[in-house]
Amino acid sequence: MSAAEHTGGKSYVLLQIGDRRFAMSAENVSELAPPVRLHEFPHTTPLVAGVIVRRGRIVPVYDVSPVLTGKRSSAHRFYLIARRNFGALSEPSAIPVSGECELATAEIQPPSSDGPEYISGSLMIGDERIDVLDMEALVTSQPMDANDVARRGIQ
Amino acid sequence: MKIASQDPAKFRRAHRSEAVILFTVANQMFAISADAVQEIRSTDSLAGSANEIEQPEISKVRHTLERAHRISYVVNACEHLRLRVTRPTLVLILRQMRVAVLVDRIERMVEIAAVHALPRAFNGEERTWYRGLAYVDDQVIPVMNPKGFLTAEEFQQLDRTAGAAASRREMEGAVQA
Repeated sequence: MSAAEHTGGKSYVLLQIGDRRFAMSAENVSELAPPVRLHEFPHTTPLVAGVIVRRGRIVPVYDVSPVLTGKRSSAHRFYLIARRNFGALSEPSAIPVSGECELATAEIQPPSSDGPEYISGSLMIGDERIDVLDMEALVTSQPMDANDVARRGIQ
Repeated sequence: MKIASQDPAKFRRAHRSEAVILFTVANQMFAISADAVQEIRSTDSLAGSANEIEQPEISKVRHTLERAHRISYVVNACEHLRLRVTRPTLVLILRQMRVAVLVDRIERMVEIAAVHALPRAFNGEERTWYRGLAYVDDQVIPVMNPKGFLTAEEFQQLDRTAGAAASRREMEGAVQA
């Protein structure tokens, strides 16, 4: 993982999901895990792909690609491990990401009024505008249908 | 934040291990506490003691099993777990539960060090299906909850249907006699 140079603002982890880059507050992120075995078993929870084992703990994996890109993520991937809160308790949660992540410090801009709930704002990194993800809203979102994909102009 | 290297799973040692039976349903492996299973029989051997039951709302139960004047309900694990339906060859007759479970195959019996809580991320029916997760031979396997195969309401519904069917059979028997 590399660090982007910016002054002021908060720290964000920049991650690649499909062909898009997103940001997540570094406060919530604990590590970038290598591609490990995804264990799958029957369940009925949307977006949960299975679990991985990290540091002796069983960590649920959320495949958020269908929400963010309209497609399922590829098989070979790293896992960004962030904490998800359940009331007073929290548990580590993994999100599959494609390859390296970057650490950046920037000022968050407010989200657009018509954007999805899981975008809490955006960062300007160089010429690139990067959406900041709200973990809780993201993992409780519905996967995109074909209309959403077309409306958001996703390839 | 740090980039972590791949490390072997180091589960905390539990105070005591638990014997579980590993079985497969639609090519998926599951575990169930050996203490929860009274008997394992082949489906062929049930021919004389099983009766059909018609309860369309609980499609995972199609047969009852009468043993020692007690009716148990035979749950198809494929349908219970929403897996593609296979042809089960074995039935696990549960201890202290009026439930028998149709499964494809028994793999083996192992000792597990711990049953890990199902992560809170899982919020669907699996919270009833599973007691938790076990780590066996580098594989995470769900540990079935013996009380999760049928709810109290499903038992009541099935008892009503089974009772009506038994009365019908008695009446038919009386008429024939």
